[in-house]
Parts: sequence; C-alpha cells; structure tokens
Amino acid sequence: MSRYLARKVVIYLLTFVVAVTIDWAIPRLMPGDPVSGLIARLQADPTAAQEMHGYFTESFGLDEPLWRQYLNFWLGLLHGDLGPSIAYVGSSVSDLIKEAVPYTLALLVPAIVLSYIAGNRVGALAARRKVLDNTALPISYVLTATPYMWLALVLAYVLAFRWEIFPVSGAYDFALQPEWSVEFARSFLAHWFLPFLTLFLVSFGGWAIGMRNLIIYELEADYANYLQALGAPNRLVRKYAYRNAVLPQMSGLALALGAVVGGALVTEIVFGYPGVGSLIITAIQNRDYFLLQGIFLFIIVGILIANFIVDIAYVIVDPRTRTGLQGS
Amino acid sequence: MATVEPQAETVVAGTVVAPGAAAPERRRSEALYFAVRNPKLLFGLGLVLLLLLVAIVGPMLTDREPFEFYDELGQPPSRDHWLGTTAPGQDVYTQFVHGLRASFIVGALAGLVAAAIGMAVGFLAGYRGGVVDEILSMLTNVVLVIPTIAVLIIVSAYLSVGSLIGEAVLIGVTSWPWVARAIRAQTFSLATRDFVSLARLSGQGSWRIIVKEIAPNMSSYLFLVFILLFGGSVLTAATLDFLGLGPSEVMSLGLMLNVAVSNSALQLGMWWWFIAPGVGITAIVAALYVMNVGLDEVFNPKLRKT
Amino acid sequence: MGSRTKKRAGGVGLIASVIALAVAASLAAGGAGAGPQGPAAVPRGDTLYTSGKQWGPYTNFNPLKPDYNTGLVGLVYETLFRYDPLKDRFIPWLASGGKWAAKNRYVVTLRPGVKWSDGKPLTAADVKFTFETQKNEGAQYGTMWKTGLRQITTKGRTVTFRFSGTPNYQEWDSNRYTVPIVPRHVFRGYSAKELVSGNASNTGKIVGTGPFRYGAGAGGSQTLQWVRRDGWWATKAYKLRMPMRYIVDINNTSNTASLQNFLQGKIDLSNNFFPGINKHVGSRVGTYYKKAPYMLPANTAWLVPNTTKKPLNDVAFRRALAESININRIVTADYQNIVSKANPTGLLPTWSKWIDQAQVKRLGFSYSISRAKSRLASNGYRDRNGDGFVEDKDGDSINLRLIVPKGWSDWETAIQIIADSAKDAGIKISPAYPDFNGLVEERNSGKFELVINNEKQIGNTPYTYYDYLFRLPVLASQTAANFSRFSSARAWSLTQQVNKVQSSSVKKAKSVHSQIQKVILEQLPAIPLWYNGMWAQWSTRYWTNFPSATGNQATPSTWNGYINMTGIDALAKLKKK
Repeated sequence: MSRYLARKVVIYLLTFVVAVTIDWAIPRLMPGDPVSGLIARLQADPTAAQEMHGYFTESFGLDEPLWRQYLNFWLGLLHGDLGPSIAYVGSSVSDLIKEAVPYTLALLVPAIVLSYIAGNRVGALAARRKVLDNTALPISYVLTATPYMWLALVLAYVLAFRWEIFPVSGAYDFALQPEWSVEFARSFLAHWFLPFLTLFLVSFGGWAIGMRNLIIYELEADYANYLQALGAPNRLVRKYAYRNAVLPQMSGLALALGAVVGGALVTEIVFGYPGVGSLIITAIQNRDYFLLQGIFLFIIVGILIANFIVDIAYVIVDPRTRTGLQGS
Repeated sequence: MATVEPQAETVVAGTVVAPGAAAPERRRSEALYFAVRNPKLLFGLGLVLLLLLVAIVGPMLTDREPFEFYDELGQPPSRDHWLGTTAPGQDVYTQFVHGLRASFIVGALAGLVAAAIGMAVGFLAGYRGGVVDEILSMLTNVVLVIPTIAVLIIVSAYLSVGSLIGEAVLIGVTSWPWVARAIRAQTFSLATRDFVSLARLSGQGSWRIIVKEIAPNMSSYLFLVFILLFGGSVLTAATLDFLGLGPSEVMSLGLMLNVAVSNSALQLGMWWWFIAPGVGITAIVAALYVMNVGLDEVFNPKLRKT
Repeated sequence: MGSRTKKRAGGVGLIASVIALAVAASLAAGGAGAGPQGPAAVPRGDTLYTSGKQWGPYTNFNPLKPDYNTGLVGLVYETLFRYDPLKDRFIPWLASGGKWAAKNRYVVTLRPGVKWSDGKPLTAADVKFTFETQKNEGAQYGTMWKTGLRQITTKGRTVTFRFSGTPNYQEWDSNRYTVPIVPRHVFRGYSAKELVSGNASNTGKIVGTGPFRYGAGAGGSQTLQWVRRDGWWATKAYKLRMPMRYIVDINNTSNTASLQNFLQGKIDLSNNFFPGINKHVGSRVGTYYKKAPYMLPANTAWLVPNTTKKPLNDVAFRRALAESININRIVTADYQNIVSKANPTGLLPTWSKWIDQAQVKRLGFSYSISRAKSRLASNGYRDRNGDGFVEDKDGDSINLRLIVPKGWSDWETAIQIIADSAKDAGIKISPAYPDFNGLVEERNSGKFELVINNEKQIGNTPYTYYDYLFRLPVLASQTAANFSRFSSARAWSLTQQVNKVQSSSVKKAKSVHSQIQKVILEQLPAIPLWYNGMWAQWSTRYWTNFPSATGNQATPSTWNGYINMTGIDALAKLKKK
C-alpha cells in the first residue's frame, strides 16, 4: 500500500510542477499587454498615461526577462505569495483568493458530498424498483443535461425574484457585515441555499444514473447469481453489489470534481456569490492575469488534494489495493 | 461526466469474439434487434434527429439573418416572428435555428477532436505499455486534473476565439483525458489476447494492429464515447458562450442566453428569448445522454434486463 | 458495504458538510470586513443603498490612486472646489475662494474652521503637500507639473500656485475640482510608491474632511459602509446636512442580480446600466428625465477610424460612412432611448454655450442613405463586381473591421446595427469582438480600422475632447488620445490655444472653439455617435426628492468624480419617506 501511495505522491508532484508551469505560461502567451489594458481602463490623461505605463510595468516586474519572472513566480509560491493583482493594484492575489475561498468551499463541499450520497442511494434504489426507475431516471437525465447556469437562472428567477422566498444574490444581507452572530448565520444560510441547490441538483442526476447502472450490472454478475442460487437473502446480495459498485463511482468522483468546480464557478456568477467563481469573472473583466493565474493554481492544487484524498479513501475501501493487487 | 460512462469492461467482454465471419454478423443483427426495441435509444436518437432536422432545415425556412434588425422590439411570439424578437429587434427563431446548427457543429467537431486525441493516447499507452505508458499517463493526469472550464475560461479570455472551429478545437483539446484513460484500460486487457499476439508475431506494426485488430473490437464502445463527448462538448460550448467567451461573431445558443441575460430578459418579461436557447441546449444534451444509455443497454446484455 | 458502513459513510458525509459550512461561515465572519465601528445591521430607513460603480473587492482606499472605492472622494476626502456641469459654475468648497492674481499666479484662500475627522485643522500645508505628491513618477495628476506648475507657497490660509509661461487654464480648472486634499499629518508617513500605487488600507487611518467616515467592508467583496460623522464643516457653512446615517455601496457581480435587487427595493440609488429600465420608470422607479433620454449625458461614444488606412484616409469616404449609420436605430433599439444622438461636433450638451450651432447646421453630417450613396459614387467608390458593396478608387475591395471589447453587449449590438445599416449604402463592415486587452493593443498600435470609443467624461471644458481628437505628435503607440492618428498641426495648435484661454474670456474662447469645431465637422477625425448616459435610476421606496430636470438639478451618480461635482447636493437634498 505504501508503494502505491508513494507512487501516487510522485505523480501528483510531477503533475503539480507541470501544471504550475503551464499556468504561469498561458497568460504570457496571450496577445495584449495587461498594463496597457489597465491604463486604458483608468482613463488617465495622455501625459500621465505614458508615465504610468512605464511605472506599472516596472512595479509588476513585467520588464524582467521571462526566465527571471518564472523563477520569481516559484520563489513567491514557496512563500505562499501569488503575486500582486493587476486590476486591484496594491492588493495581493493571495489576499483576494483567501477572501473568496470560504464561500466556494461552503458551496462545493456540501453539494458534492450530499449529491454523491443522495444520488448513489437513489440510484441504487432505482435499480431494484421499477416505479422509481421510471420516474427518477428520466428526471436525472434532464437534470444532468441541464446547463448549470440555466438552472441557476431559472431558480433565481422563480424562487428569488418572483416568489421572493430566497434572496436573489450575494452571500449575506446587504445590511450586515460578516461576524459571529445568529443574525448573520441565518442570513448566510438563506443566501447559500439556492446556489447550493443548483449544484446539488445537477450533480445528483449524474450520480443517480451512474449508480443505477452499476448496481444493475453488479446484480447480474456471476458472484451475484451464484449467491442467489445458493439461496442467500436479497439483502446480502445487494450489500455486496453495492460495495463493488461504489469503487468505480469513487474514481468517478475524482473525475467529476472538475465538472462540479466548473459548475460552481458559473453558479456563483449567476447568484453573485462572492467565491472564487465571481473572482474569476472579475479577473477576466479586468484583465488581471496575475489574479487569474493565482486562482487557477489554487484550483489545481485543490483538485490534486481532493484526488489524493479520494485515492486514500479508495485504498481504505478496496482491500485489493492494500494487498498489492491493482484495483479495477 | 464519468457517471454516465458506458460500462467499459462489460461492453468489451460482451463483444470480443475470436476472428470468424459468422459471429460478427450474428452480433450485428442481434444488436439491431435490441436496438429497435430499446425505448431509450429510440427516444434519444429520435430527438437528436429531430433537432438536427430543425438545425439544417430551419434556416432555410426564413430569409432572415440572425444579426439583422427589425422594427419589432422585444415582441412575444407572433405569426411574423415565430419565437418573438429580442430587445433590440432581432428575430429569435432565426437566432435559435442558427444557434442549434452551431451547437451541432461545435459538439461534433469537438467530440471528434477529443475522441481522436483520446484514442491516440489511450491506444498507444495501453498497447505499448512501459515507458510510453508512464509518460502518456502522466500527460493524461496533468490535463485531467486541470478543470476544463477554468482552462477554457482563461484561454478564451485571452485568445478571443473568433470561429466555431477554434472553439471546437479548444474544447476538444481539453476534454480527452477520461477517454484516454478508459481506452487505455480496455487496450491493456485486449493486448494480451491471442489474436493480437498472433498479429504481432506476423510482424505487423503497432498502429496497424491497433487500427485493424483492437479498435474494431471496441467499435461499439468508441461510438458510445463519441456520443458522450458530443453531448459534453455542447454543454461546455454553451457555458463558454454564455460567459461571453465564445465567438460572438457566430450565433450560438449560449450567446443567445448571454445577451438575453445581459438585457435582463426574464425580469423584463421577455421569457421567449430566455427559454428557447435553454430548452435547446438541454434537449440536445439530454437526447444524446439518453441515446447513450440506450446504446449501452443494446451492446451490453447485462444491462438489458430492465 | 454493510448497512453499518453505509450509515457511517452517510453520517460522515453529513458531518463533513456541516463542518464545511461552519468553517466557511466562520472564515467569512472572521475575515476582513468585521470592522469595530460597524453595527450589527444598519437600519433600513436610515440607510441609502447605492450600487453600480464597484465591480470588484473594496481594496483601494487611496484617494490619489485612480479607481478608488465608491464614495471615497466626495464623501470622505474633498476637493478645493466642486463643479456643477449643468450650470457650469464652480462651487467653493474646501477653498473659500480662488483667483488668478497675475497671469501665471493662482491664489487659493482656504476656508476657515474646517477640521479633519481626527480633530486636527485643515491647513495650507495640507494643500501644498497634496499637490506636491503629484510630482512622484506615475502620479495620476502629475501632468500639471509637466505643463507649467513650478512652485507652491503658503502663507496663513492662502496657497499660491506659480506657473512658468502661460498656464494651461482649462487643465488647471479641472484640477481645482478633481484633486482630493489629503491630511499631511497622515500621508507624509507613506512612501512615494505607496502614494502612487498603494491602497492606504489601514482603515484606522482614513482621515477626511467630508461628511462620512469609514464604517465597515474593507477588502471584503459585498458591501462597503460609510457612516455619517458630526463635525462636517459644510453643515455650518452651507447649511448642508446628510439625511442618511449610513451609505452602503454594493459590489456588483452581474447586471441581472443588481437589477433584481433594485426592482425588489433593496437598492435605492443605482448607477448601473440597466437596458430596458425605461419600462419601469413610473411611480416607484425614477430617473432624471421622466421621458427619453431619461439619463443625463456623461460622455460621447465615437466611431474612431484609423485615418492612416485606405479608404478611411479619404475624408469624403469618412463622411459617407457617417451618413450611412442609422443612429436612431441604435438609440431606440439598442438602448431603448436611454441615450441620445450626439451632436455632429461630438461635444456634450452641457457645453452648448461653446458650440457654434449655426456652423453645425451648415456643416454637420446626418443619416441619409441616399446622400451617402451619391457621395460614394461621386468620389470614385463604385460597386464594380456586383456583390452589393463598393470598391475603392483603385478597385480594391473594402471590408472594414469594426471592433469593440468582447462582452460589452450593448456595444456589440451597436456595431451589428452599424454594419447592417452601412450595408444599405454599400459599405462592407465586419464586426469583431476581441477581448479588451487585445483591443487596446490593436487600437493603440494603429493596427485597427474602426473602433468604438468613449473615454472622455463630462467635465468643465471641451478641451479634453479636442485633445482627444487632435493631440500631436502621433507616436508609434497612442495610449490615451488621437487613436485615429489624425495629423493637423493647425487643429492641435488651436486646441492648445483653448487650453491657454481662461473660460472667463468668453468672446476670445468662443472664436477658438468655433474654429476647432469647423475642423471636426469638415474633417471628421472621428464620427460622434451617441451620448452615453450618466446611468442613474432610483427606487422611491425609502427615499425621495432625487435629482430631476424639474427639481434638484444635480448629478445623481456615485461614479468616481461625480460626487465632487454635484453628487453631494443630490445626496444632501434627499428626504426620508
């Protein structure tokens, strides 16, 4: 097992280095000079503009040779410093991301976990009950095919704008500031619900469908037939089937993370939820490539860690990997 | 989306057969038999074909262009404008059918690109093994870990994709990792089979073996993969277009949604402008996914019982 | 997985989710923004909610750096004078008066009794310090030190600004109402770098002379709270008192979210651009004008041609192009009449006293496809190959690329309309939507053909617009003016003349203005299209007596630079419902 994990760690580290390099390189390959863009947005008068251009280019280190910029990026990374923001001159990227992360995590973690659990349960149930199968399944198909942003917009319009059950946007009421209080917590939850629901619904569909198919497959497997032939109770057979079905679903979880993160970004944008997704859009609107690069890096690290956690969980759940055999 | 992935092993197990003329034909007619009786496949395929028809024929039913302006501003569906008009006076029906066309083009193209890359990487890694496999696997992992939407957002923001083809290629180039992984796993098990060893002994080159022996045995699976990629690409393209990162020079369903939302269509009562593109996207993708599962059942006897 | 394990997994999942939520809520709560001065929840009836200006986190508390947080200058920091663009008059503010004691010597008298929010008095030293910070490289208002300002001296409550040569009077007038005065005793602790590009984010050190002080929200991304303070000097001097105890500005993430919040009454004064808002104007939603164009004009949108490229280098072609644009469709269809057609000189209506209207009638262009067609025909532009579009004099096909930043949907629609209408005259235009940085690069380097631009805002003088059109020399990279690369030494020299004539010399100024406008009308270095609005709509659920054409004629905008025009008057005259 330790060999398996050690190999995984090495792969992840390599992946990290490559990903960081790509992340650093992409903005620099793009056309357009971000400082010119910044100056243009600030609408300075022509004389000042000329000088500001040189000044800001130098202060961002953009006049240094590329290899030096790359090195500085790594050095900064090791200190936890992701560089300065171009759009919000004077702020550091790390600070901006730190502000936004808790909100995105608050959406992602419950949505992923709960939709995974609920989706798997419903999928497993649907595999053996025809009635549920004929209703839950088509609904799941539609849900998983619905673009996140469309569902978000519809939910926002119906539940928030029209019926005014939930607030339209934001993470908390405009009258409040973040603090330790019941009032804030209540407001936070009320604002959290719709974006969470959006993510939950779309992901739920996918898990349900996947689990249902896997269970059906397992129930037809040789060992299942054998057990049934021996007269074992259905519940026992289902228990083993479920255990086996969970494995591919787990590796599917790692793959699905990418999709859900993407969904979270778009959902945040629709609900104006001040997480990483909104920050990305702000960064794009303001052409802040240091900020984008930092966020991007953050997402990669997050997913790598999540993948690693899933790998560990997989090892725990599947005894075959522990004894040195490769899992499916 | 991994969750609707075809059940890879079972498909291969169900269709691999020793080289022989009679068996493939029986297999094929057997598949056809179940195909026409599978409600999911019929429904999905039917819907896809219907939408395709609308995408092809739709623009021909009108001589309007998606970016032309008319004097009716923000009007609901009427006899003159079948799906109403947008706030600045463009015809929603024209935009819808052109957008549908664009979605099909991008979806298919991106699907092909992703399939091609995924197959190339997957087959090579699975067949060759060893160092080649390690390198390709790492490449796959890197691209896999990077969240597609994030990459696309960032790259599109800078490259300013000006055409559908550009957008399709971009999406294709970032969506292949799960395909490569799955195909690699298949190829591993196939590569040890007798008929492959035979082919290898007879001195055929790797690619020839892959193309002539291995791939045909996975043909149904590859088709399923393509359908999934198609659907996924349509969704991804719609998301990008909605964020304003797709080619604005070409009308697409996501772009319609973008402009509708920018103009607060729902809040200002222009529901037709908002509903049409959303329903269009959902319909194509749902149809493809349902078709995919139906096909899965057709090819895989073990799923057929339901 | 046995049922026990299943339950365990489910339980683990639930616990994990709850923990995640709790952690997130606490991080958010403990994060920047929980200021000690802010109360738990601001009372609705005593708060004015604003939105529309801020599209990112509230990081910039440095009034000397561009793009500061909403309201920083105007509500907290103030300027020597304020300017009323609708009545074209300067309002003595921190200064009680100012005049040109000699041709090149301007003397400002500071108002007595003004105190900073920490109790210290405002002195001439503060003014001198502030203006001298602009000597730093990269400073926003540094131009004055390069165009004649030489020395600042103080004596008692007077500050004397000495210039060499003839001062740029118009530029100086701008500085009088835009440069925010900062407290020397706080800002002298900042390094040059911090003054130019720092955020001054120590919220304990936000010391201003204005009616509000910092409340909460620094660095956070949802709202910024300003709290009314006692001791504002204008209460005595001008009998002005702010009726609202809190001003809370809301960060915008999407237009739709802001519109929905606005329609639900959660935002009082919105300075967002809401296409279609005209449908809601009525008893509960108000705008400056009760009917079209609803909004005051804020800047001009120009169609900027690259006059160094064929056929845009031919003034006859430029004129035909101008005549082929269906500007009314842009105004009605794209903007639903919340903008208005621009004067052929491109100058804003607030400058009408400088516009030679008779000349405009004689020389100005207007939309007419027939005239455009005949002009093209008589100047050698013909459709020889029958594709519906004209070729140029040498027979080369014409296909002009017209660009706007990707994502600016109203501009995207506008250029689609332009292409559609130019088609009727036979001019082929292809709209394209590069991303913002790419567009800036194309525009600044001179690679573009046609671009829409609207950079110069309303102000005290049309000089900025002339400068924008005619500035010389044309460099390899144009950063802020003369993107059309139009070279007219005469026009540029006239422009500089305008700068050097005091607005009080009306007759002399008018003659120069008229001559410059003649060049604009005849040469069309850029084609003026429409006036973008000073977007402002309000909900009258909690506050009334917002500015209007028939009532309080003040600038109802919280965008940077507007509060220190007459935004303060707009706010001060509001009434609680």
